[in-house]
Amino acid sequence: MKKLFLPAFLLCVVALQAQMKADDVKTFTLKNGMKFLVVEDNSIPNANMYLFYHVGSRNEHQGITGLSHFFEHMMFNGAKKYGPKQFDRTMEFNGGSNNAYTTENVTVYTDWFPASATEVIFGLEGDRIASLSIDPKMVESERGVVLSERSTGLENSPWNLLGQSVQATAFQEHPYHWPVIGYEDDMKNWKQSDLEQYFKTYYAPNNCVVVISGSVKFDEIKKLAEKYIEPIPAQPDPPKVHIVEPPQTGERRIVVQKDVATPYLNIVYHTPESKSEDYYALTLLSDILSSGKSSRLYSALVDKKQLATSVFTDYGESFDPYLFGFYAIAGKGVKDVDLEKAIYEEIEKIKKDGVNDKELQKVKNQKLMQFYNQVETINGKSNNIGTYEVFFGDYRKMFDAPAQYNKVTADDIKRVANKYFSKSNRTVGILKSNTED
Amino acid sequence: MKVYNINKYIGLMAGVLLAVTINAQDYKLPAYEKFKLKNGLTVYLMEQHEVPVINVSVILPAGAIYDGEKAGLASLAASGLKYGTTNYPKAKLDEELDFIGATVNTFASKESAGLSSKFAAKDKDKVLDIIKELLTAPVFDTAEFTKEKKRVLTSLEQAKESPRSVIGSYFDKFLYGDHVYGNIVQGKISTVTGITVDDLKKFYKENYIPNGSAISIVGDFTIKEMKTLVTNLFSAWPQGKQSQANLASKPVPAPTGNRVLLINKDDAKETTFYIGGPGISRNNPDYISIEVVNTLFGGRFTSMLNDELRVNTGLTYGASSRFTPLKNAGSFAITTFTAVKNTEAAIDKALEVLNRLHDKGIDEASLASAKNYVKGQFPPRYETSGQLAGLLTQMFWYNFDESFINNFQKNVDGLTLDKTKEIIAKYFPKDKLQFVMVGKSAEIKKIAEKYGPVTEVQIKEEVKKAF
Repeated sequence: MKKLFLPAFLLCVVALQAQMKADDVKTFTLKNGMKFLVVEDNSIPNANMYLFYHVGSRNEHQGITGLSHFFEHMMFNGAKKYGPKQFDRTMEFNGGSNNAYTTENVTVYTDWFPASATEVIFGLEGDRIASLSIDPKMVESERGVVLSERSTGLENSPWNLLGQSVQATAFQEHPYHWPVIGYEDDMKNWKQSDLEQYFKTYYAPNNCVVVISGSVKFDEIKKLAEKYIEPIPAQPDPPKVHIVEPPQTGERRIVVQKDVATPYLNIVYHTPESKSEDYYALTLLSDILSSGKSSRLYSALVDKKQLATSVFTDYGESFDPYLFGFYAIAGKGVKDVDLEKAIYEEIEKIKKDGVNDKELQKVKNQKLMQFYNQVETINGKSNNIGTYEVFFGDYRKMFDAPAQYNKVTADDIKRVANKYFSKSNRTVGILKSNTED
Repeated sequence: MKVYNINKYIGLMAGVLLAVTINAQDYKLPAYEKFKLKNGLTVYLMEQHEVPVINVSVILPAGAIYDGEKAGLASLAASGLKYGTTNYPKAKLDEELDFIGATVNTFASKESAGLSSKFAAKDKDKVLDIIKELLTAPVFDTAEFTKEKKRVLTSLEQAKESPRSVIGSYFDKFLYGDHVYGNIVQGKISTVTGITVDDLKKFYKENYIPNGSAISIVGDFTIKEMKTLVTNLFSAWPQGKQSQANLASKPVPAPTGNRVLLINKDDAKETTFYIGGPGISRNNPDYISIEVVNTLFGGRFTSMLNDELRVNTGLTYGASSRFTPLKNAGSFAITTFTAVKNTEAAIDKALEVLNRLHDKGIDEASLASAKNYVKGQFPPRYETSGQLAGLLTQMFWYNFDESFINNFQKNVDGLTLDKTKEIIAKYFPKDKLQFVMVGKSAEIKKIAEKYGPVTEVQIKEEVKKAF
């Protein structure tokens, strides 16, 4: 349910030739405020439609936690023209498939279809945005589905339980405090009126950005959007998320029990949102720490010291200040304290001595390859364009990213490491079998 | 997330939809060149210039079917290639690849071993040289092996934390018995413990041979230039002779009745289960028709299984079915999971849907829908150089050619309702079902006994040689 995007980057002039340019993205905004970004790409006879709604678990409050994600499910359960089951049946009949996901920040709907079915897709999306019907019977069976989704996540990965616990500890006031899937008791308690209210507030055309890539024509897309989407009225802007997480002033620790072979460790530091000027340096720092076998953490913890069987870091997109995360699974017989200490040693090395030019160049080179991976498919194109538009405020920033990454110096990396990786700014989570020790 | 990859419905389709057929997918495989080096290595080259990147896929006859008594050997040998070579000791290898953002992965699957790689076109000389080194001159450094073995042993224990990551191996073992298709690719703690670096060297020598292997290279290069480069790099790789008998071609024992394998996991809050039986081999002439029918049964979101177990009843987040074809045999399985208290309801529902497939078959409207769906979803499967490189080595391994791609639409369209009846009767198991459940035995054993004689094991124990 929660997926992290890796945004795309262009690093050098070489990458720009024959690749996408900002001019390849054509845009229009309907009278009701829904913005469309279109990329014509005829490499396969298919197309996609990605709809990014500005709503996620950060828009919830206690009592309705998990509702954004549940709503994502309810969007498939019937509207005025296409009743229960008809959305999926119609789409699949026309050769299309779909999925959707919800994060703390956004809810994204993804349709993949033969380009010949584009109008059908517009009809389906227009119908559910204009007039979703929230059938109480569907609500009940779908509630079972998301309870199963929650349970199977916890059943199959210790990271789910640990991650939720750490997030709840790092955030005490901001709505990033609760998990996207919701609290089990809230999940069993969502009311019809909660759903109706949510739909009206957040599923407005002016709260959505649409990206379409594939074997389509811009003019044709514009006509279809005017026909199927423009008549849907705009709504007042949703309420702003007003809670700002107070600064953390001391280390926080949380331990959770699960029957595991070796301890799991999750350490997080508060870091700024995507629009921050430190975004690019923090992203490269994450790569220096954990991208590839020659990365700082893999090389030290997994290879040389053999304290961990795996280690990774992440710093993803967010609207509000979120977290830079370290994740490691202890090797056999390794104590969690020893693994934790070794992670801090690597962090301290960067804080004290910085990084060398070669490893900085290495992660910049890797970013270029990531970019190729992402523009290789029409789905990668839609995903990245939409991510930049939504999280960075302008899809053109995707084409500006190379310059932004190139500007990052070794001193910047050292600076952000010192700025954010302080003891009082961290939350440490440990999951293990024996929590009585 | 909603769910990936699920399947079908037998309802009334609005009349207007019945008129729709998807014809736009006239997808053809791009031109490629295929040739064989003197040492027997088959080479596929295909130009793709959309991004300045090259993908490589290699397939070798060195899968887990050759593990013998040493389960996990093929997998360790494959990852062992990356312990480095004389010219590229491991640290240097990792650094050089990381620096240019190149990836080179080596792995073993049940039947074959493989290498896949992706790199910027400008780095082709360097990376192809590294690939040649890894394939033809690995040194299997003892210190690296010792570290890797320790990690693998821990990861085998960790895998038991997740029912989903182990149930497939149990199912294969249960279905294939002591046939080599039941071999567990990742190995077992007892067998991996005993494997030495000499075992890796021996396994490598016997099975990593150019004859019987193929390399495909797809991306931003010219065929002429690449042909010279590949020929120069790989011609000196000496031909070999696989001494082991082809155990995979032995017949797979057929199930004689319903059976249940119950894997107890004390802290389980769900029951994860497979219900299945024998499937098909990859060269089955009805391969595409089976894919269409399975799409309806359990291969997409509106499939019969997902519709019943998820949409109508809310018993699970997802239910699906799949055929897993190998060279000489294959398996079929319905897979899903549910809360412990819903175990019986979910299994009964799955069986009810399977019976419905056999009793009522499918109708014209749903067949039309499935055809449109598999055709519509086909082109994105071969959109990238990496996907195309993988396809070419699959063509080599399973001995099919581009007609599979080029005639796909025609073959899908040619499936008739009468033929679907044959397909269902012939390929979808109806009885003698094999049930594998991971869950809390104390609460579900009684239920399991409803479906057949139960063999109970503990998830923390070693997987037996055969059940």
